[in-house]
Amino acid sequence: MVFNSFIFWIFFAAIILPYYTVFRGKANWQNGWLLLASWFFYGYANWKMIPLLLIATGVFYWLGIQIERHSESEPKRASLLSTLGVIIGIGILFYFKYLGFLVEEFAALLEKMGCIDSKPALRIVMPVGISFFTFKLIGYTIDIHLGKIKAERDALAFGTFVSFFPTILSGPIDRPGEFLPQLKEGRSIDYDNLAEGLRRFVWGLFLKVCIADRITSYPNAVFGNVSYHNTTSIILAAVLYAVEMYADFAGYSEMAIGVSRMLGLKIRENFRRPVFAQNVSEYWRRWHMSLTTWITDYVFMPLNIAFRDWGKWGLYLATSINIILIGLWHGANWTFLFFGIYHSILLILVAATEKGRKAFEKKHRLKGRWFYVTPRRILTFILVSVGLVIFRAKGLSDLGAIISQCGKGFGPVFTNGLLEIGTLGLLSAVILFLKEWKDENQWNIHFLHSEHAWIRILSMAVMIAFIIFAGQWHGGAFIYFQF
Amino acid sequence: MERNEIFSRLEEVFRDVLDNDEIVLTDTTTADDIEEWDSLTHIQLIVAIEKTFQVKFTSKEILSWKNVGELADCIQSK
Repeated sequence: MVFNSFIFWIFFAAIILPYYTVFRGKANWQNGWLLLASWFFYGYANWKMIPLLLIATGVFYWLGIQIERHSESEPKRASLLSTLGVIIGIGILFYFKYLGFLVEEFAALLEKMGCIDSKPALRIVMPVGISFFTFKLIGYTIDIHLGKIKAERDALAFGTFVSFFPTILSGPIDRPGEFLPQLKEGRSIDYDNLAEGLRRFVWGLFLKVCIADRITSYPNAVFGNVSYHNTTSIILAAVLYAVEMYADFAGYSEMAIGVSRMLGLKIRENFRRPVFAQNVSEYWRRWHMSLTTWITDYVFMPLNIAFRDWGKWGLYLATSINIILIGLWHGANWTFLFFGIYHSILLILVAATEKGRKAFEKKHRLKGRWFYVTPRRILTFILVSVGLVIFRAKGLSDLGAIISQCGKGFGPVFTNGLLEIGTLGLLSAVILFLKEWKDENQWNIHFLHSEHAWIRILSMAVMIAFIIFAGQWHGGAFIYFQF
Repeated sequence: MERNEIFSRLEEVFRDVLDNDEIVLTDTTTADDIEEWDSLTHIQLIVAIEKTFQVKFTSKEILSWKNVGELADCIQSK
């Protein structure tokens, strides 16, 4: 059930009506209702995976309370229990996401060496959203162990935190310390929340159906049959894929944030205009922020602390492990490993040159100057787009085909797929860029947020009309559902 | 060591590592209050603080501080 489908809107209407009428202001009832809705939503995607979600919720609920109970009297036991929580979380992720791949690769190796005749097939169905809710659960146990939060004793609230339907399939990855306190109070209809939620939802819908689902045909056509295309078309496809990826994932995130906000709940932001990043390090602070901040807090910082006496080499090592894990988090494929290694090299270069660069900027007063900033932004965009080509490749042979095809040189651009994107796709992308430009430079022009009600209403009407007119409504699921 | 003294020495370390002479620390100061204080400079700060105060923190201690006040408490307890 995707956010940009009629069936989701019916589902959401059926949830929000009782939420703000019969259950209005009653925290327990509202949480229970959200929990049921979330389980239904998750079961609708794949009902066979409901037991896994229920068991994981139950186990971590119990673990949280046990860790807290022993933290004063038996700190060693508390530490052991929180390690157990991390192992269970990683274990679930490993079994469903990586085991099949490792077994197959190992069997292929044995086959090559002549140890076995044919490789066995291991088919493990990966539950949707597993990478997202296991991270929430791991973070929960670590936060209790560090004394940052209290264990949640309200089972309804805890269940809602784990399974919350706007975020369970693709994030943003929420933190218990921010989300759980919001469930303590009953929620009533609030005009600001509803209006802001609707605005965010409509903007996300625009990104998804007017940009992502319209642009997708071109990268699909080129990368789908790469051996027929030249470097010019591959470069264009790479640039369009970078735009598609952003519109798709940011669109999803905006809709998730919007839906939550309409329910009176604030969740984490996921993007902050990555196109304006001036280096790859800044890009990662603006892209999929709920994942990168999670990995920074729970992986990078502990590693960096452990390696702190090794100076800059410790930093480089922690950075590399961190970014390679972000790559591999997307799934078991050599291309994700290479994606991580590629970005780790870029990040090390940024870190190694940072001191010199800052001194240079200070000396020549370059900070914020357009002639300094713009080329850096363009270079970052190019580097990120190259990374996304590695990310998108289906496997090493696919990646090899793209590289060898690029070696054959430029030529006339493939135009078939471009016609489908057309003027409407281009116009939508321009609207997106202008809005990002305005937000980045904090210009005081507001359409959907204008202080005048008539401008707000008119802007919303135009936006919705444009989405209906220019939207691509037979697009597929969101790219990030597969992770 | 007196808490005041801890704070004034901490302030020196912060100003030196973060290259900003205007930094003033209070019990409730966090990384959100100081622009130059990010996840990278955080580690440099810890290394410098350990050197200045001749102490060694555990990972759990470092990860559980919520503000400068808790950091100062931790130094005092050593």
